[in-house]
Amino acid sequence: MRAPSRRLGVLALLALAVPRVAFAAPGLEPTGTHAAELVHAFWSLVPHIARSTTDPQQPHPTPQALPHAAEGEAPVPLDDLSKSTTIETELRKALRPHDGAIRVTIPNGTARLGDFSIGSNETVSGHLLVVRGTADVYGKLLGNLVTVEGDVVLHPGGVVSGDILTLGGEVRDEGGEIGGEVRTFRNASVLEAVVVPRPAPPSALETVFRRLAGAVGVFLTLGALGFGLVMFGRPNLEVVSDTVSHSFGRAFATGLLGQLLLLPTFGMLVVGLILSVVGIVLLPFAVVVYALLVIVAAVGGFLAVAHAMGETYTRRRLALGVMASPNSYRYLLVGLGALAAFWLAWSVFGWVPVAGDLIRGAAILVTWLLATTGFGAALLSRAGIRENFAGRLIPPEALTDEYLWATPQFGVTAAKRPGSRTPTRGL
Amino acid sequence: MRRALAAALALVLGASGASAQTMRPFSTYRQWHGETSTVARLDFAAGALRLAAGRPNELYRMDVLYDGERYEPVSDFDAARGNVTLGLRAAGDGGIRVVSKRQLGQTASVTFSPRSDLALAVALGAVDGDLDLGGLRLTSLDLEAGASRATVRFSQPNGARCRDAVLSSGAAELTVLGLGNSRCDRIAFEGGVGRVTLDFSGTWTSSSHVSVKMALGQVELRLPRQVGVRLTLDKFLATFEAEGLVRRGNAYVSPGYDQAARHLDIDITTAVGGVTLDWLE
Repeated sequence: MRAPSRRLGVLALLALAVPRVAFAAPGLEPTGTHAAELVHAFWSLVPHIARSTTDPQQPHPTPQALPHAAEGEAPVPLDDLSKSTTIETELRKALRPHDGAIRVTIPNGTARLGDFSIGSNETVSGHLLVVRGTADVYGKLLGNLVTVEGDVVLHPGGVVSGDILTLGGEVRDEGGEIGGEVRTFRNASVLEAVVVPRPAPPSALETVFRRLAGAVGVFLTLGALGFGLVMFGRPNLEVVSDTVSHSFGRAFATGLLGQLLLLPTFGMLVVGLILSVVGIVLLPFAVVVYALLVIVAAVGGFLAVAHAMGETYTRRRLALGVMASPNSYRYLLVGLGALAAFWLAWSVFGWVPVAGDLIRGAAILVTWLLATTGFGAALLSRAGIRENFAGRLIPPEALTDEYLWATPQFGVTAAKRPGSRTPTRGL
Repeated sequence: MRRALAAALALVLGASGASAQTMRPFSTYRQWHGETSTVARLDFAAGALRLAAGRPNELYRMDVLYDGERYEPVSDFDAARGNVTLGLRAAGDGGIRVVSKRQLGQTASVTFSPRSDLALAVALGAVDGDLDLGGLRLTSLDLEAGASRATVRFSQPNGARCRDAVLSSGAAELTVLGLGNSRCDRIAFEGGVGRVTLDFSGTWTSSSHVSVKMALGQVELRLPRQVGVRLTLDKFLATFEAEGLVRRGNAYVSPGYDQAARHLDIDITTAVGGVTLDWLE
């Protein structure tokens, strides 16, 4: 206990030092032209990164002129762009789609949807609004230019006589001339999100079949995993299963604590590896291994719980004189069947008001409870290696008649139990 | 063990606790079209401000990250008069009170062209400011620092002759470095409570008159030896040691004051506090 404690202490100390290291980097003195350029370059970089991560499904509109707004709708004057936030508010209101289409009126100007360019021999008079597109200026624009969710690219020789305002874009001046001021809001929420029509909700029968298929699929997968586990790791599965049977409360408490400590432990692992320098190389592998271990413990524990349930049920049936083959495959099938019953019930009756929700809640609660117990049992038994909590190391005085009566002492089942691991059962 | 575990837990949980703020970036600039003079006003209520000389082909530029819920950026150029107003103003009914750390997290970087004469007026609220005026063509400066901690520096000689520099502060800590590079004929400082450091190092090309009025606080003067210094002091409960100066009538003068090519005349009025002198070699 001492060594892990000391290690943990060192780890915590190093962890506490991390922020200091992070803040100890020499700060840039933003004075002079270089600093200003640096800041400018940084600001230019941000939207590039942001743009590269935007939703690829965002439709790129076909370039077209935007129709005028209906009568009664207020136009958006672009004569004075100095009050840029006011323009933004007006545009937000005006560009709200009506009947799926955007309409806007720009006094003394035009509005375009999608990319738009002014040719080198071209002169556009009046203000220009470009929505969701890039405005490439090779020629002359005699007026103000506003873009919404789009950039302005001013090419060499390009002229904008007035001001430029970008709402959700940037201005790239590649050698053009801008008569007025340039104002840039790199993030703006002028346009409403594109509303994707939702598919019609499925019918009740379809819902039932879907849910049934889903539940059956999940439990078939769990069954397949369980069979594999029985085939290749039965001793471990049995130890975890016995831990669930004999130390249910402890297993649940351990599982609960384990869930709470999952993230902190992961954080400590990552920090520890980073601080150990050499461990940085191992970080990706460690992350993957950690995730796999957690999944294996959770799924394996859940299967062990199913195994324990099945075993208990089968033994009770045997005790009543019902002839059945007591083997791990049967235990697993019976246990999983019992667990699946909740979800199958929800699949069938989930559409019933109130009762459906109650069944679903019960299914979730029971599944979580048993999964937590299984996870805890897997932790307690060290994935089936440690038998302390499995009730297998029973002192001779505990071998009561009832115990011996309920436990098969002869036959295939008893013979198949590993003698070294089951001293009390193999006798 | 427990402490270590708690510390590690705190680190892990703390790392995820940092929430993203809704700060908004805004940029504005204007190309330089041969303007010879600009009158600029910069208002910044809260946050960190950096001001410096910028690109020659840009008359001005401002990159700001601001709290969009309480402020809105100001960028207005009057081409007829050559006036520009930059900064942040209160949006809605929020006022300019500093109510959250978010506002103190606002940042602004402002640059002006070194080609155009600049008459600059700056009003700061609760600001951590670093104003490097070196390399600009400053013709006048009016700085109001409310409750700020500001450093004004002239890292390079001023490109133009500066008529006057008026600095005022409420409850602030103000440091002005390299005033010798400022080329200002008249420098005036008026402070309420706080601490002011006036550093007169730099390349002196003309004489200057400095007036300092401080109600309650510390005035630190860093004086160059190559300039003839004359100091008059009107104090009530303030301490002063005329180290390196000799008394002449109502004033203190540096040795060789009359022979010096450049003169620095300082009038100090202070009530409570102290005036200290440091000589620069």
